[in-house]
Amino acid sequence: MLKIFVLIKQVPSLHNLQIDKQTGTLIREGVENIINPDDLYGLELGLSLKEQYGGEITAITMGPPQAEFALRECLSMGVDKSLLITDEQFAYSDTLQTTLVLKETFHKIKDYDIIITGSQTSDSSTGQIPFQLSEALDIPLITDIFTMEIENNIFKCHRNFGHESQNISVELPILIRVRRHFNEPRHISLSGIKRAFEKEIEFNDFNTFNCPEYLDGCNKSPTNVVKTEKIVIKRKNEIIEGNFNEKVQKLLKIMQEHGIERIWTGDMI
Amino acid sequence: MNFELTEQQKLVRRSVRKFAEEVLAPVAPTFDREAKYNGYIVKELSKVNLFGIQLPEKYGGADLDSISYAITIEEISRICASTGLMLSVHNSVGAYPIYNWGTEEQKERYLPDIATGKKISGFSWTEPNAGSDAQGIECIMVQKGNDFVLNGSKIFVTNGAIGSVILIGTRYKTNDGQNGIATIILEKDMEGYEIGQPEDKMGVRGNITTSLYFNNIRVPKENILGSLNDGFRIAMQTLDVGRIGIAAQALGIAQAAYEHSVEYSKGRIQFKRPISQFQGISFKLAEMSTKIDAARLLIYRAAFMKDTKKRFSKESAMCKYYASKIARQVTQEAIQIHGGYGYMKDLPLERYYRDAKVTEIYEGTSEIMKLIIAQQILRGNL
Repeated sequence: MLKIFVLIKQVPSLHNLQIDKQTGTLIREGVENIINPDDLYGLELGLSLKEQYGGEITAITMGPPQAEFALRECLSMGVDKSLLITDEQFAYSDTLQTTLVLKETFHKIKDYDIIITGSQTSDSSTGQIPFQLSEALDIPLITDIFTMEIENNIFKCHRNFGHESQNISVELPILIRVRRHFNEPRHISLSGIKRAFEKEIEFNDFNTFNCPEYLDGCNKSPTNVVKTEKIVIKRKNEIIEGNFNEKVQKLLKIMQEHGIERIWTGDMI
Repeated sequence: MNFELTEQQKLVRRSVRKFAEEVLAPVAPTFDREAKYNGYIVKELSKVNLFGIQLPEKYGGADLDSISYAITIEEISRICASTGLMLSVHNSVGAYPIYNWGTEEQKERYLPDIATGKKISGFSWTEPNAGSDAQGIECIMVQKGNDFVLNGSKIFVTNGAIGSVILIGTRYKTNDGQNGIATIILEKDMEGYEIGQPEDKMGVRGNITTSLYFNNIRVPKENILGSLNDGFRIAMQTLDVGRIGIAAQALGIAQAAYEHSVEYSKGRIQFKRPISQFQGISFKLAEMSTKIDAARLLIYRAAFMKDTKKRFSKESAMCKYYASKIARQVTQEAIQIHGGYGYMKDLPLERYYRDAKVTEIYEGTSEIMKLIIAQQILRGNL
């Protein structure tokens, strides 16, 4: 039986996203939280693998207690079990600290075949977790999958990137990083919702793990977010005056000033 | 007292909203314009179990509470009122009476197919000569041996074209001379069941409304819902439930018109500022928001009373009367805020206005709603 684990994160919805001007961090209070959009592709892959090959699928997230709602959403989609890793000690964890906590989590789980992640989160966009976690667990990382099949503990897939494609076959366990739009995530069915709220969610905290010394999100994260800024793009309007030839010459000059060096100036004029 | 939705109800809202925005929004204007309903949508609705919202899991339903049901109809109608109508009628006045008054045999025969949407259900009482005067129906079934033979017709049947299990009210006459009103279950493929031409309607055009003609239909006793003479009471109690759904449909339409109005008034510049900064417009927004909120609370209360097994005839009439009235007002004001743009078919505002109007008419007109409320008050239910 396949043991599938999908890693998800609860993120603030991109509608009305605000930044705290004092601390430079995202304001999360009073903002609607959703499952990170990229993770939905991972959930869909996990669910379809389960449907095809049988097995059990667990959603895991690390975050504050309210992330429980994101796990309820996963359960509504058809996930069998869920695990919330939450502790004040893990607050402000960067990707490395998060990876270390996840490493401990999977050492404790022991029995896993496929771990699935999305490509990145919409609130920090680092995309580092799948790479770091596969290193930490010392299992192969498979990215850019296109088609796949599983046979006798061997995962065979077709990878596709740009002009190249590759057929690989690898022994489980593996970590799969799913790219955006790889599949069409299913909608939550109303009948899944009641069942989701009847299920137990497993909680892990700091004391669940045996080697807590280096797990300290706040103090031992090597990465610090110094500043977050909202990028404002303002359009500049400039009216180019003159006759046709003068206008073209002025336009070419402006384009060159903005770093466009190779301009075709054939017989068009 | 707590005005917060439960986490489960919040997830219902979020899931249905996402579904409606992604699946129904692209097709809703076409349903209205072409007055057609595309069958593939039924499959999509079925995938997320919208045909068995409150039916028990045993029959394939989602087994949700009545507030979740109201939220679902609101969110669907916010995007497509025609689909909201189909689901409201199917779930409340179609499926509910079979579940509530049906024999176990009837439940097992109909509910699993109803819950998946394989069979769309409906409920029809109105006839050419019987609308608000519900006792004035003329359909008649006369006993012949063990069965009855039904003749007559129904008009303005919601889900008339796609419905395959339709409950109707009819007069009856037994061999031993008893008569009265019965509610019976008809199936589309019964001999003598004929579907009329689609009506050309002002709004909710994506739901194909038809007449139904019954020519010597043989109705076995197994198709009678509840006891023979219980038909009128079943119908009235069924409509109490149905009105929560119609109120939620009206609310969804109003909510859509309101959201468009807020968005538009913030972006529309006249006299060098957004029109939302003029009191004439901002007061309209304030009124819309207040009315919508009041309607929503009335609906949730009626739904709550139903779930807690209290009598809710008055409350359901109140929520239907009020929500349909404010839906008409809000959609009208929304067009006013949009000015000429609101009057054009490029924007959905005029559709909302047309869709809203009928909520003051079907499942009991506003006048009948006030009659029910007044009767309750004067009986001492202050």
